[in-house]
Formats: sequence, structure tokens, C-alpha cells
Amino acid sequence: MWIEALIAVTLLSAFAVFLSPDGAAGKLAFALSLLPLAGSLWMYSTYEASGNALLAGSELAFEETFQWVVAGDYALQWHVGLDGISMPLVALTTVLTSLALLASWTPIDERQSQFYGLMLFLEASLLGVFSALDFFVWFVFWEMVLVPMYVLIGVWGGPRRKYAAIKMFVYTNLASLVMFIGFVALVFGLGDVNSFDMPTVAQALRGGELGSLGPVGPDALKVAAFVAMFAGFAVKVPVVPFHTWLPDAHVEAPTPVSIMLAGVLLKMGTYALLRFNFTMLPGVAQDYATIIALFAVVSVIYGAMLALAQSDLKRIVAYSSVSSMGYVILGLVAYSLYGLGGATFQMIAHGLISGLMFMAVGVIYNTTHTRMVSDMSGLASKMPFTVTVFVAGAFGYMGLPLMAGFAAELFIFLGAFQSTVLASAPLFTAAAMFGIVIVAGYLLFAMQRTLFGPFEVETDYEVGHAAFHDVAPLVVLILLVVALGVDPGIFYDMIQNAVDPLVKTAGGGA
Amino acid sequence: MAALPFELAPAIAALPFVSFLIALLVGAFAPRLLPKGGAIPGILATAGSLLLSIWAFVAVSGSADGMYHEYITWVAGAGEATLDLHFGILLDPLSTMMLIIVSLVALLVHVFSLGYMNDEGETGLPRYYAGLGLFTASMLSFVFANNLLMAFMFFELVGLCSWLLIGFWFREEGPPSAAKKAFLVTRFGDYFFLVGVVGVLATFGTSMFVGSENMEAFPHIAEQVLAGEGAVEVTTFLGFEPQAWFAVLGLLILGGVVGKSAQFPLHTWLPDAMEGPTPVSALIHAATMVAAGVYLVARIYGFYALLPQVLAFIAFVGGFTALFAATMGVVKKEIKQVLAYSTISQYGYMMLGLGAGGYVAASFHLLTHAFFKALLFLGAGSVIIAMHHNENMWDMGGLKEKMPVTYYAFLSGSLALAGIVPFSGFWSKDEVLYEAFVHGLNSPLLLGAYAMGLLAVFFTGFYTFRMVFLTFHGEPRTDTARDPHGVGWNVKFPLAVLGILAAVTGLVNMVPVQKLLGVEGIDFLHQWLDAGPEVLSAHHYSTLTHDFAHYTAGTIGSADLTVLLSAGVSLGLALAGAGAAWLLYDVPEPVRHTDRLGRIKTVLFNNYYQDEFQVWLAQGVTLPVAKAADKFDQGVIDGVVNGASSVSLFGGSRIKRVQTGVVSNYAFLLTTGLIVLLVAFGIMGGWF
Repeated sequence: MWIEALIAVTLLSAFAVFLSPDGAAGKLAFALSLLPLAGSLWMYSTYEASGNALLAGSELAFEETFQWVVAGDYALQWHVGLDGISMPLVALTTVLTSLALLASWTPIDERQSQFYGLMLFLEASLLGVFSALDFFVWFVFWEMVLVPMYVLIGVWGGPRRKYAAIKMFVYTNLASLVMFIGFVALVFGLGDVNSFDMPTVAQALRGGELGSLGPVGPDALKVAAFVAMFAGFAVKVPVVPFHTWLPDAHVEAPTPVSIMLAGVLLKMGTYALLRFNFTMLPGVAQDYATIIALFAVVSVIYGAMLALAQSDLKRIVAYSSVSSMGYVILGLVAYSLYGLGGATFQMIAHGLISGLMFMAVGVIYNTTHTRMVSDMSGLASKMPFTVTVFVAGAFGYMGLPLMAGFAAELFIFLGAFQSTVLASAPLFTAAAMFGIVIVAGYLLFAMQRTLFGPFEVETDYEVGHAAFHDVAPLVVLILLVVALGVDPGIFYDMIQNAVDPLVKTAGGGA
Repeated sequence: MAALPFELAPAIAALPFVSFLIALLVGAFAPRLLPKGGAIPGILATAGSLLLSIWAFVAVSGSADGMYHEYITWVAGAGEATLDLHFGILLDPLSTMMLIIVSLVALLVHVFSLGYMNDEGETGLPRYYAGLGLFTASMLSFVFANNLLMAFMFFELVGLCSWLLIGFWFREEGPPSAAKKAFLVTRFGDYFFLVGVVGVLATFGTSMFVGSENMEAFPHIAEQVLAGEGAVEVTTFLGFEPQAWFAVLGLLILGGVVGKSAQFPLHTWLPDAMEGPTPVSALIHAATMVAAGVYLVARIYGFYALLPQVLAFIAFVGGFTALFAATMGVVKKEIKQVLAYSTISQYGYMMLGLGAGGYVAASFHLLTHAFFKALLFLGAGSVIIAMHHNENMWDMGGLKEKMPVTYYAFLSGSLALAGIVPFSGFWSKDEVLYEAFVHGLNSPLLLGAYAMGLLAVFFTGFYTFRMVFLTFHGEPRTDTARDPHGVGWNVKFPLAVLGILAAVTGLVNMVPVQKLLGVEGIDFLHQWLDAGPEVLSAHHYSTLTHDFAHYTAGTIGSADLTVLLSAGVSLGLALAGAGAAWLLYDVPEPVRHTDRLGRIKTVLFNNYYQDEFQVWLAQGVTLPVAKAADKFDQGVIDGVVNGASSVSLFGGSRIKRVQTGVVSNYAFLLTTGLIVLLVAFGIMGGWF
């Protein structure tokens, strides 16, 4: 009931904004986005659930099931509900959307009603992705996300927007197809389960009910399905080497779209990995732990090295997302209490911090009309407030203690170090942890060159001032990041409550 | 129910944090309401911290178990096998002593800043005082942390504050670069520290320094494991035996220490950090950031005392750094540069002391050094004000008559630094060297570290008095030196306080006098650090170094002779160094004698090309690798992606030719397809 209302209100808001006049669209969209925001906060405050949404013996919050379509043996049902993993992500989505809408006021000046409508449409789809518990419902929302994203980049983007939008759309859509085939093969392999309900499928798979599909035996089917789903989700995360669409998309996308892309869309990939690969096929995940961990470490270090080589502020932040999402993969593959919990917490932490960084880069771009590190220096003397916030965000990204990123990374490192599924876990962990030095390197270099030193900006425009609605969302994000860093329990307790059953039943150390 | 001073313990760190918030928020929104740019709230806050620290110090000595321990959950988590992640406050003899040092130096630095920053008309004062407040608060929290994780967290915040303050003058090129270097180099050390923290938590399930009802202390668990006592078991990793694994953990934690305490090879950030305002240098060197590393080793000495290899390593790093840095101090031109290298060198002594089993000696040197180094930096700051911010000693000379308060205070600090009896530095440095010497007699490895430390004494005496004579003696060499800028009470008062402390602090621990004259009970510091809980006491540590590292004290001739010999040699070397400086530089027109060293001077002046090496690592290796990775990414990985799309586009353009629009062609294809399908199904279904 509540989840449906949340999604419906957001969709209706989207339509209302579509129909509104251009001049009012921005304010209207922001005002309307406060509804789902308030709704999700209310849901958080009344949230009462225990266990993992896909496993037996758990108590879900706001759960709702009813028959939808019956097709032959297969009954498709509307099934939504929240557990400790999805609740924080729903909250993240609503918070970031409202702030991203605020951050759109300055840069978006044409076709505003369409832009803001699409942003709300995007929000509705994302809420669906994080709350759906039936595969088909989930998949519809999953694909629905791509449509507004494609248009938002393709219409309001930079000079190479067409290329970036098509690349993102084709690449991730192709990946979805591969993943779809993998999952459907599993369901067919289950024989008489005849359901696409995610908890049912997960419990059947964990119960070892998988049979053969044609000539393919259950073991091979598991591995093949795992690989297909992993590849599909890895593009979304993105895991190196499937990451090349991301920097292009970010560089071309307008600031608010980048915020949504880095802050929420990437988390769809890791969320799905956790829900599908790591919940449904824990055995395969553990058998291939070393290889997956290798992907994770390479993503962290290689992503950070790429960020080091960039000279465009937005590209730096874009590549550092690749690096940060690598930590999530490391936490997942560790398959331990703090590993899985930390991975989920990192989704939230990175969502807020990367949103913050893209927003800050956006504010700098709005005022200087350049993003190139070499084109500016000494911004601190002209825009002290923005620079203060930028510095705070950058240190958050570096994992400064008492900010959310530190807590998330600490949990992941603890979980990975102790992992019993991963051979030589401490070595993998230590290798990935070196990312914290490189991230400090490129952010400090970039800040030194752009923010400090004598003031100079090479641009044809006059350097302006940041508006209140540009910096207000930054302050909100910093406060949230600090709050989560000082008291991670705001989300972490419910997260750990939801991942604990996974670890307990599949075994992976503390 | 804890006693009142203990209940107020969180306020020790909270007060400066509030002054940070006041300076930050009021400074941003209503700067006119901020008295003295934030100095007054800062002074009040640090004074409050100092009083509370003293109160806690007194209360600790009066409490039943000699300590106060408070446990605050940080992350509870849910599920099975949760780890012990918490904050907490541990007040014991060591931490309360350090709290007093930190809050006292911070208070004096705030007062001095009135003269150095406010009176000089600097802009951005709220930012400056906000930084000082946060710096003090972070360091105080680090000091009273009751576990390694919390210590790490505030250790990192200390790093952030150093970045903020070293880069205070951000409009110039130098300071932001120095700030970046300081953070990056110490971050490199902290990387190892964090791996160590994670390792400790994974191994012991806790990182507590002292036991509580919830959990045992990790050094104590380690001790039980190594002693084979009881049924205590821990998880080790990568197939290591406990002894070796603990050594690995100890070395990892040491990475953070080497970074923050500027030990070789991570010392390079510290001389650059002189780009910051001088009061900040005083704070960083004497009481906060640099002291944090050594303090951490002392804090978990119960762990290090179990690991002989790591102890030897600490002693060697310390001894080597002491000598290495002292040689570079000999040729520097700028007064703050000399002091920077002396800091590196002096922290080397503390490391030497800790590595050699001299827990009390090293803590003693930490105490005396805090006062005399804060004094020297503030004295240098006074000179810099007088010289209109010219720091080159060759432009000074003859300042003695013009600024007597600064001169005598600075002289007191210099005598302490050089280790001349009876100034404080003599007593503490002598005790460090004595510990290294007597333990070295039975563990010859330590003698090497001792020898380096001993040799450094000569250089210390030389560079210290070279600095004093060049700055204050002889004839003024420039117009500025002839007519220096005056300094106010806010500069003289901190100097006077510290000048007295630098002279007399040695009296708290006159161990040689006690040994030689048999006067009992004047080793107050020893007694103090021996009070408190058993597992954190000095005698427990010496039992551990004796049992696990097999440190025993040797003698030459008699015990008295050994004491005399050790003290005599180090004092003699210090005097020789000071005397050499006196001969060469205490003349009306000193010349650059170090030029005669020729190429050696060039090497020393360029810091053995250590900086060049590290800059090369960053810019000559890492950056090109990153660029190459970027090229690879754009060319190969993205090339494959774009290639795949080109292939499919090309394929599409060919396949679309099938659509000829001729119906008979379609009919042909349809039929063919049907037949192929039928055959395929037939084969699979086994029709044939």
C-alpha cells in the first residue's frame, strides 16, 4: 500500500510537471519531490522488519502481494516490500532526487517541464527497482530507468551527448538482455517452481532444487547463469573492464543527471548483484571468489589510476566512482557479515558523497564555465563557501573518519580481511585498501591546482557567484554524510540485520 | 558513579571543538561578532581543557585503580559475530600527562597567535582559529582514546587539520603544495596503520588498550597467547604463527607512526610544513601531529614489548633518524628549517628510547621536548615578527640586545635541545641514551642504534648553537636586524612560561642523581607512570621487555660508573658540538663555514635527495603509469567496445540487403527457415 502510493505519487508528479509551464516546472518538481521524500522518511521512521527479503523466516516492511497476470503455468504477481537492504536505498533515492532537482535550477534552461518530468519519472522507476520482489515487476522498472536516462543525457547533455547516450543505452541494455537470459534459464531449470517471485526462486535455489535445463546439468547451469547475471550487472556497476560507458555518460550529462547516475543508478548494479548473484547462488559466488575479488581489486586500483590521469574535474569524479564501486564488489565477494553489510552501506555512503562531488563540480562549472583543472586556480579566494564545501566533500571521498565513507570502507575492509571464502583474503584486502592513498593523491592534486594558489580562470565568461539553491543541497549532503559517519547505525543496524541471514546460512566467516 | 572530573572528561576535547564551531559558523555568518577573529573562544576553550586535564590528572592519582575508563558504542551492528567498534575515554597516568602537555601548548599557541596573526593583520583569522580548535580537539580525543580504531580515526583528523593549517596561506603557491605533501606522505603511512587496525580487529576481535567488562585489551590477549597461558586463542592469517603475525601487525601500525612522527623515510613532509604559520609549526611539532606517532607507540607499549624484532626495528629507525636529520640541520639557512630537522631528530630519540625498552625515558623526552620545542618555535616566531617575516639567519645577527626576553627564553630552549645540564633536555635525552646503552650491552644489536643516537648529540649541539649565534649574537647583518619590529606581551608571555618550563621540567625525573647520590624518590615521572593499572604500568612493561625481548641491563664496571659514563659521554659530545659552534659562529662577522664541506654540503642541503626521490616516485613513476593506463583504457578497452558496435553496425548494413522487397525472395527464405527448424527439432527430438 505505502510503496505503491510512493511510486504512484511520484509518477503522478511526473505527469503534472510534464504538463506545467516551463517557468514553473523547476519549483513545482522540487515541491512535488518533497512528497516521496517525506513518504520515504515516514517509512523509515516506522520501519519494522527483520531478516532478508529473499530468505525464509523474515519479516518485511510494507509488503504487498497480489496476482497480476496468469500466463500458462506461470503466475506473475505484483510483489513489493522492503528489508534492511532496500529501505536505505529507497531513502537515498528520494533524498538525492530532491537535491538533484534543486541543483537543476541553474544549469537547465530549456525544455524545463520535460526535463523535470523525466527526472521524477526516473525517481519512480528507481523506487520500483529497489522495492520490487517479483522478477518481472523488477525487470520492468529496471528497464524503465533507462528510458528517462537516455533522453536526459541525449537532449540536455554536452556536445557529444548523442554518442554518450547511445553508448550507455546500448551497452547497459545489452547487458540487461544477457542477465535476463541468465535468470530465466535458472527459473526454467527449477522445473515445477513455476514462479518469478524472487523470494520463491531464491529459496528454491538455495534449497538445491535446481535441475537440468535441456542438456545442461544443474552445476553448469548455475555457473552459466551466474556468469550471465554477473556480466549483466557488472556493466551497470560498472566493474572494470565494463566501465567505459560511464565516463562518457558523466562528462556529457548535465550535473543533476550525473548526480542521479553516480548516486543511485550505479547502485542498481550492486544491489542486483547482491539480490541475485550473491543471494541466490552463494555457492558459485564462493567458488569463484578469487576471480571476482580480482575484478574488485582491479576496479579499485585501476579506476583510481585512471582518475589520477584526468584533467577534467568531472572525469576525475567519474573514474573515482569506478574505484569506489570496486570496494562494494570486494565487500560482496567476501561474503561475511561486515563485508556484505559494508558493501550495502558503501552504496549509501558513495551515493551521497559522489552526489555531493558531482554537485560541487557542477557549482564550479556554473560559475566558471570550465571544468578543466588547468584552466583555473585559486577559486578559494573568490568563492570561499563553495570551496569549503568542495573540500569537505573531497575529504569525505578520501574516507575521512567521522564521515560516511570511512565507516563504509572500514566495514568492507574488516569483512574482507576476515573472509573465509576468499583465499589469502588479507592480501586482497590490503591491495584494495591502497586505493585510499591514490584517491587522496588525485583529489589533493586537483584541489591544490584549482582551489588554491593565485586566483586565475581562463574562460570567456565572467566568473559569477553560486546561488543559494546551488549550495544549499551541498550543505544538506555534507550534514548527512557526517551524520552517517558519526552514527552509522542510522542505517547500518538494519543493513546488518538483513545480511546476517545470508552469512549464517551460506557461511563466510564473521 | 564516576567522580566529577571524570564525568567532565569528554569536555576536554569538546571545548576546543566548540571553539572550532564558533569560529567556523560565527566567522562565516557574522564575523564582526567574533572577538579577535576567534582567538578568545579558542583561548577560553583551551584554558578550560587545561584545567580539566589537570583536574583529571589529580583525580587519576587519587582514584582506586589509577585510571578512569568509559566505553561508548560507535557501531553496534546486528547479527552474530559482531566486532567491537566503539569510542571510549581512557584516563591513566600516560594519557592525563599528555592531555596536560597538549592543552597547555595549545593554550600558549593561541595566546601567541594574537601577536603573530592578529597583530600582523592577517586575513582569514576565523579560518585559522577554527583550524587550531579542531586540531586541538582531534589531538585531545586521540590522546584519551581507549582503543586503536578510535585512535586511528582522530589520528586521521589530525592529518586533516595539519592540511588545513599548513595550507593556511592558500593564495600563495608554496603552502598548498606543502599541505598536500604533508597529508599525502602521512596518508601513505596511515595506509599501513589502517591495515594494522583492521588486522588487529580481525585477530583479536577488539582493539581496546585496556580491559573492561565487555572485552579484554588486545595487548593483554597477545601477551597471554605468547605466554601460552590459559585457553586464550586468536585467529591468525596467511598461515603465520602468533608471534610472527603479531610482529606483522606491530610493523603495520608502525607505518602510521613513521609517517606522523616524521621518521625516516617518511620524514620529508615535515620541513616543507614550515610553510604554515609559525604558531602552527609549534603546535604540530611539540604537541599534536608529530607527537601523535610516538605517543601511539607508548600507548600500546604492552603490545610492542612482546615483539623483540619490532622493538629492534623501532630502535634502529629512531637512532638512524636522529643522526640523519641532525646532519641536515647543520647546513640550513632558515631558522625554522633548522628547527624542523631538529624535530625529526628528537622524535628519533624517542623512538630509540621506546625500541630500547625505555618506556619512561621516551615519555620523559616527549614531555620535555614538547616544552622546549614549542618554546623554540614560538621564539623563532618572535624573531620572524621582528625580522618582518624574513627567516634567513644570515640576515639576522645581534638580536640579543634588541629582544632580551626572546633571547633568554630561546637560549633556555636551545640549552635543553642541545642537552646541556641542568636543562630539561639533558635529563630526558640522557635517560634515553642510558637505556639504549645498558640494554645494548647485553643485546649488541641495540648498540648500533645507540651509537647513531650518541653521534647525533654532537651534531645537535652544533646546529643548535650555530642557530643561536647566527640569530642573536655578532653584529646585525641587515637593516631589519638593526631595527627589528617590536613584539607584544602576547608573544613574550608564552615564551616566558615555556622558557621556565624548558629549564626546570627535567627536575621531575632526575634518575642519574637518584642513582649516584642515592636520594630516594626523586624520579617522580617514573613513579607516576608506574602508578595506574597494572597492565599499563612501567614495571609491567619492563617485565615484558625482559621476558619477551630478553632485555637486561648490563654494566661497565659498576652501576654508578655506567651511569656516569653514559651521562658524561653524551654531555661531553653536546658541549663539544656547542663549543665548535661557539668557535665558528660566535664572532662579529660569521662566515659560511659549512661551505668548506663542498659537495657534502650540497648533499646535506638537498636532504640527501630524499625529496627528489619521492617527487620522482609521484611524478616520474605514478603519473606516467596513470597516463599509460588512461591511454590503454581509451584505446584498448573502450576500443573493443566501440569496435563491437562498429562490427554490428557494419553487419547490420550488410544484413539489411536481405530485405530486397521481392516477395519470392522472402518466400524462399521463409521456407528454408521452416525446413531448417523442422530438421533441428527432429534431430533434438530423436525423430530420425
